[in-house]
Amino acid sequence: MKKISYLVVAFLIFGATSLRAQLIDEKDVTITMDLQPVLQLDMTTPDQIEFVFDNINEYFAGITHYGATILKVSSTVSWDLYAVGRSSGSNGAGFWDQQIAYGSGTNTNAIANLPISLLELRQSQPNAGASAAALASYADYSASFTAAGTPSGQNSLYVNGGSNTPPSLADKYIGGHAGTTGTGDFLPGGSYLTQTGTTSNYYYSMDYRILPGLPAIFPNAYSADGLTAQDIVTANAAGNYAEPGVYTMFVQYVLLEDQ
Amino acid sequence: MKINKHLIWLAILVWFPFFTNAQLHCGLVEFVPNTSESNMLTFDTPAKYQGGITINGAARLKINVKDQTVPDPLCSWNLTLLINNNPGAGTPNNEWEVLTSYGNGLGNNPLIKTLQIRVRNACATSPSDGVFQTFTTTSDIIDIIAALLPITPAGSCTTNVNSPGNYINNYDEFHFDIDIRVVPKFAFNPGIFQLNLRFHLEENP
Repeated sequence: MKKISYLVVAFLIFGATSLRAQLIDEKDVTITMDLQPVLQLDMTTPDQIEFVFDNINEYFAGITHYGATILKVSSTVSWDLYAVGRSSGSNGAGFWDQQIAYGSGTNTNAIANLPISLLELRQSQPNAGASAAALASYADYSASFTAAGTPSGQNSLYVNGGSNTPPSLADKYIGGHAGTTGTGDFLPGGSYLTQTGTTSNYYYSMDYRILPGLPAIFPNAYSADGLTAQDIVTANAAGNYAEPGVYTMFVQYVLLEDQ
Repeated sequence: MKINKHLIWLAILVWFPFFTNAQLHCGLVEFVPNTSESNMLTFDTPAKYQGGITINGAARLKINVKDQTVPDPLCSWNLTLLINNNPGAGTPNNEWEVLTSYGNGLGNNPLIKTLQIRVRNACATSPSDGVFQTFTTTSDIIDIIAALLPITPAGSCTTNVNSPGNYINNYDEFHFDIDIRVVPKFAFNPGIFQLNLRFHLEENP
């Protein structure tokens, strides 16, 4: 009786000590990925683009600088690209800065406040992100420059009172549209490094034109939406013209995330 | 006497399955060391997004498998790789876990398959040696040395070496370099994302 009991206990102990699975070991490797938003605008352009009007033909026909600025975009997020005209504001917000006035400066018809929007732009590639910009008469700067004598705001530079705030739904963008306010009107992330070719949405060649006309009233100066004339006569009075002198302004290209 | 009979049967029933299922062939199966490691991939330029980031030697596995005191000819091992994305946090089984987001981005979180993993050692003991592999979902398993293979002895410097041995005496067979590569391109939301790779070393039953 006792022997049998011992045997049972021995079996139980042996069974318990055999309660083991296969030998295992494990090692963990944690991988963390930081995808930082990258918005990169590479720009090739002269420090200064000069328009010197010193003969009648140039006043009549204007001066055009073709491909003066090359814009190349690389972005990991959806984006919009726009140009905005700015100055230091010495002649008031939205006007060119007059550096020098030629002559006596006493002629009351000579106007020193030249609207920044007189500068015209033309982009090489239509804005593929402007399909949702139904409210804009001119969604981008892709139209050809109009002939002298046919005033139009289709290429006039976007200006917003000297600030660099994004254009509205009604205004022009180079790529995408309406900043963060629109929906479905962005250009997707990508890079000019891989999206190559003449139809790339990540590469723009920009032409500049200034057309003073005669008298020099800058007939292609228009409001931000391109619908309201801002030429010297319309903005001032009949008989007015641009005061001869040296003027400066700058174009700011802004690449922003469109969420 | 009647009670003792029951005890005998009970003992046999308890003892027998344990004995048959828990048959150990090896004395020790371990990574040396088995501490966890971490790697950070920071994408902050278009070139990195486009070209990707590769870390060679993101982890190094050093294996030590010992036979029992009385050698068992059936002692062998397998090595597999699993992936985890913290599904408890609601992460879809084919995406990286999101630790933080930078804005809304492009709308898609990175997929697990963007992580490429390569295993290599000097003897190319893994059949997938030198080839970048990917996971599609967290239920996938990558065999480095598959289970239940015929035993290939240490020192043979061929594929599927899975006998007892260690990285000291047979470094080229019991040591694995783990390389990782991620090429996100311009397709995913910006943010910080995480995955955990688990290397599982087990003796073959």
